[in-house]
Amino acid sequence: MARAAVLQIPGVNCEYESARALEAVGIEARIIRFNEASSVLSEFDAFVLPGGFAFQDRIRAGAVAAKLPAVERIARESESGKPVIGICNGAQVLVETGIVPGIHPGRVELALAPNRAPRRPGYQCRWIHVRPSEGPGRATFAATIALDEFVPLPLAHGEGRFTTADPDVRARIESQGLVLFRYVDGAGHPADHYPDDPNGAMFQAAGITNVAGNVLAFMPHPERAAWLRMMPQDWPGAWGERRRAVIGKFDALEGAGPGRFLFASLAKRLGVSTPQGAPA
Amino acid sequence: MSAVLLTRLKITDLTALTALEAGRRMLPEGHALERIVREELFLFEPESGVAPAAFEQRLHEAIETSNFFVNPNKERFRFLTSGQRGATWSPPEGAWGILARSRDDTRDEGLRARLLREHPLPGLAAIRRARAWWLWTRDASGAPAKEYFYVRLGPLQGPSKGLLLNPHAEASLRIFGDVAWKDVERFLAEPALQPAAA
Repeated sequence: MARAAVLQIPGVNCEYESARALEAVGIEARIIRFNEASSVLSEFDAFVLPGGFAFQDRIRAGAVAAKLPAVERIARESESGKPVIGICNGAQVLVETGIVPGIHPGRVELALAPNRAPRRPGYQCRWIHVRPSEGPGRATFAATIALDEFVPLPLAHGEGRFTTADPDVRARIESQGLVLFRYVDGAGHPADHYPDDPNGAMFQAAGITNVAGNVLAFMPHPERAAWLRMMPQDWPGAWGERRRAVIGKFDALEGAGPGRFLFASLAKRLGVSTPQGAPA
Repeated sequence: MSAVLLTRLKITDLTALTALEAGRRMLPEGHALERIVREELFLFEPESGVAPAAFEQRLHEAIETSNFFVNPNKERFRFLTSGQRGATWSPPEGAWGILARSRDDTRDEGLRARLLREHPLPGLAAIRRARAWWLWTRDASGAPAKEYFYVRLGPLQGPSKGLLLNPHAEASLRIFGDVAWKDVERFLAEPALQPAAA
């Protein structure tokens, strides 16, 4: 059975949800505390850095956690091709280590800057739509979702704007297909303005991978949408209809939600047979 | 010529303490990071052709009587009119600094609008913001080794190099000694340079 470690850093708050979402697709998940011997991490096949506020976002979101020996160890493990997902605060940690995008190894090439939206500075906490693109990360993180499909997901962040001050890095992120997920509107078209585009990220990026495609920095929270019961009942579109169709049907509410695809894709990549109830 | 407001916590600054701990772990033996202080800088920019004195007195009263800028239970502040601030800004005794600003527009329009709603201040064009990190450092010889510590603890370059700011989101100005206020004003008003050129 494939095993994934979910790193618990002081201040994160999504480790249990992330572990449950992994278990739902047949991956054995274990929560590993940040100060356990980092050598234990080599026993795992994949890693999740969950959302939250590691070290209270002191100095800057992800800045302190990026220096942890455990994170350094995960970075080393990723060099052998093991998948790593950073969700929200976990994405901020990955960007602060330089693992994503990793165009020039050992260099930090991105920031997750404060959201930029007209007359709406600060924290955003709501649902948006994302759509996958072709790129080196597709086989690992988007194998169970079609390129013309888009899904609603919740997001909750104040610093989610992928940006770089290096024009060469920016060009290579685009040309190498590293933007694996983009914000789109309710019809699946590129989100060119607020509120479909929640933060002003370059290329409307919701998720960027490293060059090898095995590390994903993803700002929305798929673990908070991994079950159908987690969907808002009033959400428009196909997923909203699916949710409304199962009101009061408790077994059906335990079906896969729109965020399940990410964990199912990881399971597929790890060779895990998909349990009943998970998307193919 | 801008008026200046500097605020800092008078209760324990846990962010500065965390920066101190994280920074110390990044240094080799013999290099001491003794203290870090974090200070917020506000520059009050007058409209073109307006003498800052036209609103500075009322601005000072607004800062003292409102809670827009300072919570007196936990923060202390220094307000310097354009006349009081002098030509240069000096680091605290024994320290050197890094001034960090957003790579975006440094004007805080929300803060200005909120201030003007309750305290009409004709002639106030903009409030610009930045953060100063003051560091007390010493190498094995006892020298402050500012350049060395700036590279190790300043703009983030890699996992073991840089801490206090991410140059893809923020630009920085080194304050290794007295710095002219006009250079600080220019640093905040002009578009941020590419990291390599800064």
